[in-house]
Amino acid sequence: MESLVYIALFAPFVGSLFAGLFFARSPKNIIVGIVNPALIGLSLLASIILAFYVAEHGAVHVTMMDWISAGSLHIPFGFIVDKVSVTMMIVVTTVSTVVHVYSNGYMDHDKSFNRFFSYLSAFVFSMMILVMSDNFAGLFIGWEGVGVCSWLLIGFWYHKKDVTPDINPAISPSYAANEAFIMNRIADLGMLVGIFLIYWNVGSLQYDVVFKALPHLTDGILVAIAIGLFIGAMGKSAQFPLHTWLTDAMEGPTPVSALIHAATMVTAGVFLVIRANPLFGMEAVQGVSYFIAALGTFVAFYAASMALVNRDLKRIIAYSTLSQLGYMFAAAGLGAYWIALFHLAAHAFFKALLFLGAGNVMHAMDDELDLFKMGGLKKAMRGTYIYMGVASLALAGLPPLAGYFSKDAIIETAFNEGTLVLWGMLVFTAGLTAFYSFRQVFLTFEGEERYKLFGFHPHEMYKYVLIAMSPLAILAVVAGWFQGSFHEFIITLLPEYEMSHHTHHLAGKLGLIVLAFAITGIVIAYFKYARRGEKAFKQDEKVENGFIYKLLINQYYVPDFYVEFIVKPYKAISEKFWAIDKAVVDGTVDMIAKVIYTTGDKTRTIQNGNLSSYLNWMGAGTLLLILAAAVVAVMS
Amino acid sequence: MEHILSILIFFPLLAGILGFVVDKEVAKAYGISVAAVEFLLSLWLWASFDTNYAGMQFNEFAPIISQFGISYNLGVDGISLFIVLMSTLITLLGIILLDEDKIANMKNMIISLLFLEMTMVGVFLSLDAIIFYLFWELSLVPMLYIIGAWGGPTRVYAAVKFFLYTFAGSLVMLVGLLAIAYLYHLEAGVWTFNLLDWYQLDLSVGLQFWLFLALFAGFAIKVPMFPFHTWLPHAHGQAPTIGSVILAAVLLKMGTYGFVRFSLPLFPDASVEMIPFIVVLSIIMVIYTAMVAFAQKDMKQVIAYSSVSHMGIIMIGVFAMNAEGLGGSIFLMLSHGIVSGALFMLVGVIYERTGTKTMSEFGGLASIMPVYATVFGIMLMASVGLPLTIGFVGEFLVLLGFYEVSPIATILAGTTIIIGSVYMLSLFKKSFFGPVTNEKNRGLKDLNVRELTALLPLVAIVVWLGVYPKPVLGPIDKSVKQLLVNMEYKARTQKAKDTIISMQLAKEEK
Repeated sequence: MESLVYIALFAPFVGSLFAGLFFARSPKNIIVGIVNPALIGLSLLASIILAFYVAEHGAVHVTMMDWISAGSLHIPFGFIVDKVSVTMMIVVTTVSTVVHVYSNGYMDHDKSFNRFFSYLSAFVFSMMILVMSDNFAGLFIGWEGVGVCSWLLIGFWYHKKDVTPDINPAISPSYAANEAFIMNRIADLGMLVGIFLIYWNVGSLQYDVVFKALPHLTDGILVAIAIGLFIGAMGKSAQFPLHTWLTDAMEGPTPVSALIHAATMVTAGVFLVIRANPLFGMEAVQGVSYFIAALGTFVAFYAASMALVNRDLKRIIAYSTLSQLGYMFAAAGLGAYWIALFHLAAHAFFKALLFLGAGNVMHAMDDELDLFKMGGLKKAMRGTYIYMGVASLALAGLPPLAGYFSKDAIIETAFNEGTLVLWGMLVFTAGLTAFYSFRQVFLTFEGEERYKLFGFHPHEMYKYVLIAMSPLAILAVVAGWFQGSFHEFIITLLPEYEMSHHTHHLAGKLGLIVLAFAITGIVIAYFKYARRGEKAFKQDEKVENGFIYKLLINQYYVPDFYVEFIVKPYKAISEKFWAIDKAVVDGTVDMIAKVIYTTGDKTRTIQNGNLSSYLNWMGAGTLLLILAAAVVAVMS
Repeated sequence: MEHILSILIFFPLLAGILGFVVDKEVAKAYGISVAAVEFLLSLWLWASFDTNYAGMQFNEFAPIISQFGISYNLGVDGISLFIVLMSTLITLLGIILLDEDKIANMKNMIISLLFLEMTMVGVFLSLDAIIFYLFWELSLVPMLYIIGAWGGPTRVYAAVKFFLYTFAGSLVMLVGLLAIAYLYHLEAGVWTFNLLDWYQLDLSVGLQFWLFLALFAGFAIKVPMFPFHTWLPHAHGQAPTIGSVILAAVLLKMGTYGFVRFSLPLFPDASVEMIPFIVVLSIIMVIYTAMVAFAQKDMKQVIAYSSVSHMGIIMIGVFAMNAEGLGGSIFLMLSHGIVSGALFMLVGVIYERTGTKTMSEFGGLASIMPVYATVFGIMLMASVGLPLTIGFVGEFLVLLGFYEVSPIATILAGTTIIIGSVYMLSLFKKSFFGPVTNEKNRGLKDLNVRELTALLPLVAIVVWLGVYPKPVLGPIDKSVKQLLVNMEYKARTQKAKDTIISMQLAKEEK
């Protein structure tokens, strides 16, 4: 089994090196397009076999070699494949395989085709390290690794120039990439502090050792560790207030958005909380956990509200990702770790599908993203319409699709915990989710064919790409049906979470409430955006000038706030410091030098070679000495 | 090879003297071969180094002026071994990178570099305070010449500033060293400048304090610690590429090495007392210079200020008083040498092609010079401390180690991972991303064989020691633990004993 672990882990790495070293400078090479997806597929296969093995025989633990040893710190490259990590491995590799195949079609005409595959595979490798590591430092390797790959891929089209925020809120791909990297680094500092605390209080960073030692730590330390780790999670999973990078990250190619900024990397924070459930589940850190749930719920609503008005095809999906991450955190914070993980997996499938569908639309519409320039695309793109429709139904949580099971379980958890405010917000957000999802679908595919005005000639995506997307479509439909067996599989590792009798009793009615909200959302979206002719959708000036619309479309002015109160002052202070460095710090040094030099220059006149002036000086000196002697004599 | 250390020091000197009679045309080839032999010798030293022994090895001892206890006294341990290796490697690669068409009077350059190499290796191998001081001061001369002869427009100002500033500090240090010898004489009745003898000297806390400050003057200016850092941007701004490479990679390390070799073991109590003072200065270094780096318009100045910022992290590690932090800071000295050396080389590459270092003149270089951009990108990632690059190991260990001393200070210093990426990524974006803004840059050639030969070994090291630091970290760790044990044993005050965490204590606890 050990070799399977290494195959699952290193196959993507081999792919990355293969594309990066041999084909980096050559034009598009179809071999890369075949070998790389095949290697990711191999990793998927190994993960599936491992899953069966793990289900039967328990976790596989391998230690490859030592990494860092200093003082009493020992960090190995160790990997653990247990039920949690194997679930993540399968999710990651499944979506990755589809996205790799898909990229063959999407990046067809890109001159950096090979480079793209190299980065994409490197990302998968980093993600596998992240989920498979058996210690916090190893997790941090993957954590930073996915960060760099995300930086490379958001900025993939680095040659684009910066524009003002009113043309493109993300300014440019390279700007968005830097923003993502730096914002994540802010969170990483929190995570590092968590790691340091663990080390100095436990003496090890291995999960098993740390989790065993937790009961011996004081409450204060536990809370501090939990806060540190969660700050890290907030960055990677783009929770408020570190969320702005995620929507700007949409500057990356769409397969990247699907894989990294929807299905896998952004769920790393949720994964961390699930992985560290022995910590977050402790009595002492209930405060932190409740905060996680509350923040998650807030983000779920907050992001959904911004998605309501946005016109950008990809940004809407990005907001919806944010919102769904909020749902996952809500579940994890409330102690329903397995439900969080289940939603994580289900979400990965239907969200990746949704993004890839959006990619098809962009491919058809010459990279146009404005929904108001689309409409009525269903004729030209039937397959994509079906995919995006299915994905949106799943996202909206309609039975019997995946989202219905996973999201409903989270909402039910909130009810079960008695946190009715959270419950109410989550239910309401479910309605918003259904509305904005179908607003997007209808604006794209139904209604008047507005694209004709702008001279687009949409065409359906290549057939093989559509076929490659089908596994995700199937999973988006059926994933929920396996809730029972997944529960059975995972529960030996994650803490059980069961609904109380009371909740169980009401489960049917609760589900109906959520469903009612969702269907209402869809129906409103239909009447507003899907109809043709007289009742077709038109832009409404009055709404668009309203306060709420302005607030939402400007993302609650949070990005502006960051620019005004962080970016600009930072620049200004930096300039000021530089001026101080030159004028004061260096100036002092130069002044000292100058004083010494001028003193020397001035006193040089004493030695001018003129004998009579020498005599004068001598006389003056003698007089001075006699005076001094006299004074001393009188004094004593 | 009993006298390997002497050979390591004097081979470059002899070769440098011989260099005067070497034909001008083959000067560079001569330089490469000498530096290569020197590097191989240092590799041989590593190969025959006993990694299980923490103390000084390959000792050489010969009295010079016995009535004053001045002797020719050499030795190497896990702390100095790799700094020597890095010095010889960087010298070799730096010479390889020299462009014969661009550098007038190559012969003088090679001779200066070989002299410089002697002084660098000498500083790190000396165990006699006087010999150490000699090499320390001698290292200024070739560098003064390199900046003054091959530098930019205001090279004379920069070179003189560099020389006088560091020299002034060194003189105070010399007074300190003489005072230690005098105190030793008072106590033991004999004169000695042998550092290993000095380690036995038991000084009152008050004396330790003043002597610490005297040595601090010399070391801190060299590091350079805030507010004594302003000679560095001038020196880097004017120095030719090779000068900057060696200055950043090796010469700055003399300062931090001095703290490790002299201040810590000689004055354990004062060192502990001075932690707050040092840490405040270091945190200012880390944050303030990182922000100044962000404000720069000139690519080389960004790297220069980033050097100061990173040296701040090293200083914090030196005063962490535990094996994680101190070991990490020594590893960080090496990794900073490799990475900043490589970055200065990379800036030199573009400067040679375009004659400018101003970032606004570039833009979109990634499209024109993809290999160059890739190598730069790797070094950038190492500079911001990405795991699995060399930059992570040291930085992580330093911050981890110092967390035990002060969580708040660690968090403040830890902002380096944020603001470090701010200035590096913005440098990268301005120079490499976006459309090609300067039409003159369109025809730029990517890295050639000469440049790749100099840079690829560094890339390999960045990855190798990032993934598998053990061969280097192991011996460092051993010697560092020994140092801490000695410090703790020697410390007079209970506070110092409590702060210094040697492994012995940890063992007792278990």
